[in-house]
Amino acid sequence: MGDSSNQDLISDLPQSIIESILTRLPLRDAVRTSLLSSKWRYRWATLTHLVFDEDCVTLSNDRALFEDKLINFITRALFLHQGPIHKFQLCTSYLQSCPEIDQWILFLSRKDIKELVIELGESEWIRAPSCLFKCKKLIRLELFRCELDPPPTFKGFLCLKNLNLYQVFVASDAIESLISSCPLLESLSLSYSDSLTLNIYAPNLKYLCLEGEFKDICLQNTPLLIVMSVAMYMTEDIAEHMQQSSSCNFIKLLGSVPYLERLIGRIYFTKYLSIGDDRGRYPVTYSHLKIIELYQVSFEDMKEILVVLHLITNSPNLVELQISGSSNTLTAMEATDLDFWDKECPSPCLFDRLKVVKMTEMSGVPHEMEFIKFLLESSPVLEVMSIMPCPSVMDGRLNMLIELVRFRRASARAEIVFIQC
Amino acid sequence: MSEFDMAVIQPEMIKSYIWLQTADGSIQQVEQEVAMFCPMICHEIIQKGMGSSKTYAISLPQRVNPCMLSLILDYCRFHQVTGRSNKERKSFDEKFIRMDTKRLCELTSAADSLQLKPLVDLTSRALARVIEGKTPEEIREIFHLPDDLTEEEKLEPLKNSTDDPRIRLLNRLYARKRKELKEREHLKNVETEEEHVDDRSVEDLLSFINGGNGDSKVLKTSKSKKKNRRRKEQQKNASVDESIESQGKDSNGLNSVCNGTGVDKLHPHPGETSTLPDVEDDTFPHKVEFDDGDIDDEIDPALKEKIDREVEDFARRLNSDWPERMQEILSLGQEGRPVNENGSLRRYAST
Repeated sequence: MGDSSNQDLISDLPQSIIESILTRLPLRDAVRTSLLSSKWRYRWATLTHLVFDEDCVTLSNDRALFEDKLINFITRALFLHQGPIHKFQLCTSYLQSCPEIDQWILFLSRKDIKELVIELGESEWIRAPSCLFKCKKLIRLELFRCELDPPPTFKGFLCLKNLNLYQVFVASDAIESLISSCPLLESLSLSYSDSLTLNIYAPNLKYLCLEGEFKDICLQNTPLLIVMSVAMYMTEDIAEHMQQSSSCNFIKLLGSVPYLERLIGRIYFTKYLSIGDDRGRYPVTYSHLKIIELYQVSFEDMKEILVVLHLITNSPNLVELQISGSSNTLTAMEATDLDFWDKECPSPCLFDRLKVVKMTEMSGVPHEMEFIKFLLESSPVLEVMSIMPCPSVMDGRLNMLIELVRFRRASARAEIVFIQC
Repeated sequence: MSEFDMAVIQPEMIKSYIWLQTADGSIQQVEQEVAMFCPMICHEIIQKGMGSSKTYAISLPQRVNPCMLSLILDYCRFHQVTGRSNKERKSFDEKFIRMDTKRLCELTSAADSLQLKPLVDLTSRALARVIEGKTPEEIREIFHLPDDLTEEEKLEPLKNSTDDPRIRLLNRLYARKRKELKEREHLKNVETEEEHVDDRSVEDLLSFINGGNGDSKVLKTSKSKKKNRRRKEQQKNASVDESIESQGKDSNGLNSVCNGTGVDKLHPHPGETSTLPDVEDDTFPHKVEFDDGDIDDEIDPALKEKIDREVEDFARRLNSDWPERMQEILSLGQEGRPVNENGSLRRYAST
C-alpha cells in the first residue's frame, strides 16, 4: 500500500490549484475524485463553482427515474458541500420544475451565492421562491421560464451587475423597481416577458437587450449605455395604442444615451421609433455611435425612412451600417414621394467615417435604391457596399444592377458587391 | 577601438540580466524582461532590489528546480513579446503543454510558487484533461495515489446506494475477506487476551477438571466469550447492517442471560447492541471501535436494565424479519460462516 518510491504526484499541490483543476472538470468527475484516496475524499466538497447538467447522472430511458436521479444528485451534492458556493448553474432540459428547487435556493442563499443560473425544461415554469430575494451577494442572475414576484420588503440586489430574465412572468412595476433598486446593474437582458411597460432607471447600465412585446419603453436614466439591442414585437393594438399617445418613442428610447457605441434594432424597431410626435426635436448627437444594425426596415413607410436617416445623420463617427429591408413589394413599387430625396434630404451631408455598408433583403423598390444612391453619394471613405437581394426577388435583380451601376460614388475606393443567393 | 568608443557603444548593447538562484544552489543569469514576466521575481526586483548581481541573486522558492525554471523561462520568453497574435500564443501553449504527467505536476507547482497565473491556468487545464473521463483506478495509477480507502468509502458518492443491493452485499464480502486476512495477523494478540481472561477462571477450570462435569456453564461462557471476541473484531470493521452477525452475537448474549452467568460476559454487549441503530442505508456507516481489553467485571444495574431493554427490542425486531433473514442466512451460509452462529440462532428461534 504505502510505496514511497512512487511518490504521490498531485495530492500535495496547494488547495487553490486543486480547486482550479476540479473546477475545470465536469462536476461528476470532480465528485468522483473522492474515490481516489483518503486525501481526496472531501476535496471536491469545497468547490465554489457548481455546474449541474444532465451529464451528472447516467442517462436512462425512464424519464421520471432520470429526473429523480438528477434531483438526488444535486441535493446530496449540496448536502455534502462545505464552505461558500459562489456559482450555481443548473441548465438542463431533462428536468422540469420540481419542489426541491425552493430548498436548493434557500440553501444557496445561506452560502453567499454570487452567480445563479437556472434553466430547466420548457413544459413547466418555476415559481421563484422568496428566499431568492435574500441572496444578498448576487452579482449575476439568470433565470429562464419562471414567475418572479419580489416581496414588498425587498430592497434590491445591491451587488447585482448582470441580470438576464428569459420568458419571465413579472409585473411591470415589479421589474421596474427591481431594476432601479440594483444600483450597480451593468447588463440587463429581458426577453419575452410580454406586455411590459418599462421605465428603466439604471445609472450604471452599459448593455441592454430587450426582446419581445413591450407596451412602452422609456430609458429614463441610462447615461452610460454603450450597447443597445432591441427586438420589438408589436401587435396591431399596441401600435394603435402608441399612435394615440403623443410622446415621441424615438426620444424616449434614444433621447439620453450619448455614449452609445452600438445600436441593434430588429423586427418592428424602426416602426416603433417612428411613432410619436417628433417634429424637429432631435437634440442628441451620437458621437460615439460606430455601428448601427437595423433589421426589417420597411422602405415603403416614409416615417421609417426618416428615422433611419435621422439616426445616421446624427452619428458623425459611424463606421459600419447594416440595413435589412422588409418591403411589401407591391405597395413599395408604387412609391409616390420619391421627390423627397431631392428636396428634403439633407444634401451636404457627409458620412466622414462610414466604411462598410451592408444592405440585405433588398427588393429593389424605388426608396431602397434611392437610399443606396444617397449613401454612395455621401460617403467619401466608403470601402465596401454589399447588397444582397431578397431570395424571392428573381426578376428584379437585373434592374437593380442596372441602377446600381449608374450611381455616383463619392469614394474612389468603394466596392459594390452584389451577393447572389 | 578606443576606450571612448567602447563606452559609447556598450550601454546600447547591454541587455539587463537578472541573477536567479534555485534551491539546489545553482545560480544563473536571465534576461531581465523575461524574468520580469513572473510576478514573484518582479516583486523581488522592484520592491527589494535583488537580483542585480551574483551575490544578490534572487532565491527562488523550493518548488522551482533548474529543470522547471528553464521550462518556465521558455514560456516567459515567448509570451512576454507583445506583438504575437492570440492564435500564435494558443498554438505555442498547446505544444508547450505536451509533457508527461509528473513534469506537468511539478510545473504547476513551480508556476504557482512564482505566481505566474497564466501558466498555472494552462497546466491546470491540462491536468483536468488528464483526469477527465478516467476511472479511479486509472487516475490512481497515473498519479501514484495510495489506494487507502475502504470498500465502503469507495461506493460512488451521491449515488443512491440502495439502488442495487448486490453492491452492498459485494461490499460486505470484500470487507470481510480483507478483515479475515488482517485477523490472521491479529490472532497472536487475541491469544494473549484469551490467556489473560482464562487466568480469571483458572479456579473454575481446576474445579471442573477436578470435579468432573461441574460447570458446563462456565465452558459455555468462555466459549461464548471467544465467540464474542471474534465477533466483536468482525463487528469492529464490518458495516452496521451485517444483520446475521449481530443476530448471532445477540443471541449469544441472550444465551448468557438465560444461563444467568458471568456478568462480565455481558459487558461487551451493551456497546454492541447499542451499535445497532435502525440504519437501513449504509451510506454513512457507523464504525464501531472497541479495545480487546475492554472487559470489566462490574456492570451497574442501570446499564443492565438498558441492555435488557435493548435485547428485548432487538428480539422483537428479529422476530418480525425472520423469514427474510432466514433467506439471507441460508444464502450466505455457503460463504463459510462459523457454524456456531447458525447453531446458536436456531437455539434462539426455538425459545
